[in-house]
Amino acid sequence: MFDYILNVSGYVLEGSLVTFQLYLVTAIFSVILGVLGALGKISKIPLLESILSFYTWVFRGTPLLLQLFFAYYGLPVLGITLEPFPAAALTFIVNYGAYFTEIFRGGIESIGDGQYEAAKVLGMNYRQTMSRIIIPQTVKRVLPATSNEAINLVKDSALVAVIGLGDLLRAAKVAVTRDFSIIPFIIAAVFYLIISSVIVTVFRKLEEKYSVYE
Amino acid sequence: MIKAKNINKSFGELEVLRDVSFDVQQGEVISIIGPSGSGKSTLLRSLIGLEEINSGKLFIEGISVKKSGKKAYEKMGMVFQGFNLFPHKTVMGNLIEAPIVVKGETKGEAKKRAEELLNKVGLTDKKDSYPAQLSGGQKQRVAIARALAMEPDIMLFDEPTSSLDPELVGEVLTVIRGLADENITMMIVTHEMGFAKDVSDRVFFMDHGKIISDTVPEKIFVNPESERIQNFLTKILSQN
Repeated sequence: MFDYILNVSGYVLEGSLVTFQLYLVTAIFSVILGVLGALGKISKIPLLESILSFYTWVFRGTPLLLQLFFAYYGLPVLGITLEPFPAAALTFIVNYGAYFTEIFRGGIESIGDGQYEAAKVLGMNYRQTMSRIIIPQTVKRVLPATSNEAINLVKDSALVAVIGLGDLLRAAKVAVTRDFSIIPFIIAAVFYLIISSVIVTVFRKLEEKYSVYE
Repeated sequence: MIKAKNINKSFGELEVLRDVSFDVQQGEVISIIGPSGSGKSTLLRSLIGLEEINSGKLFIEGISVKKSGKKAYEKMGMVFQGFNLFPHKTVMGNLIEAPIVVKGETKGEAKKRAEELLNKVGLTDKKDSYPAQLSGGQKQRVAIARALAMEPDIMLFDEPTSSLDPELVGEVLTVIRGLADENITMMIVTHEMGFAKDVSDRVFFMDHGKIISDTVPEKIFVNPESERIQNFLTKILSQN
């Protein structure tokens, strides 16, 4: 029995490598996309604002699973064929980027005018003001919402199993079918819980770190 | 030093500054008093480019504000009613930020002058504190030091003590008095009449977007000519 659990754990762990890769790529690029999207949304350039509003409306308003199907099964119809991993990564980045755009925009807009005025009378330009004064303060304010998204992403990553990507969940599913045992699912659940707990801990540490100044 | 000629500013329908003209010489200390809504803050904010004037001419050290873009503001510092310190930076961080980022000073240079300034405002022991850990009076003194760190020729104060508890007003006024003795040109919007009387070379009395009196403090406080000023002073003094 113990050997079996160890054996299946190893198998599921292999699958979770794909989950980790997807998680990492999505986390990095969707945050970058979110920052750029948020800066665009507050830029007061009407066309850019409209485009970004359309973007967040579409990607927050439709199921992630639909978007995943669209990228993997839909795009080939248009002559664009993606391998499962790039299709999944692209979908997740664009989807999470939409959420981060709105979260970061809200964070930036919550910083009072006084901070911009103080920076301006000290001679700072827009770029300096944003990068040194506004965004660092925004980080603290968006941490709780970002933490939620970070945990959602762990769970959402399991959706890629449906386009045949061999992730953590799919590895468990294969083992369940092969061995006719429920244990692989339990192991998968434990894995997800461990990953989520690590992320929660990381964000709690970050929040502690940023709490020094207020 | 500062020359304003027929400046006008409106927010939509509301005319906040109406044909305001004045001159300020090097080293002069000007207090601006008057009822709320008379345009005092808007006047200061226009000088440093936080508000754009609709018409008129404004020269800072001979440079036209409109044409120069940023240049004319470089020699001015401003202190706000609400302090506007950077909450994510320590007191030292607040002081060295602009000298390093805007002027390109080294951290060493910036820190050295920051230490001197903190000594001047009496807050050397608070250099590693965050703004949230300071009292209102201490915050405002840090804000003054932060503005001075850019070595301005002109300092603008927009009601620097209005959001302070009464017992903290004195420490801030003492610092500003000290600057007046150093010959820095200053324009101060204030409701502290005693302070305005002592510290100022001239007092502007503003009402409805106009400077209706521009004279030495004795004349305004001891012997006000207009009934409008008399009424204002009686009202203010009866509150204190």
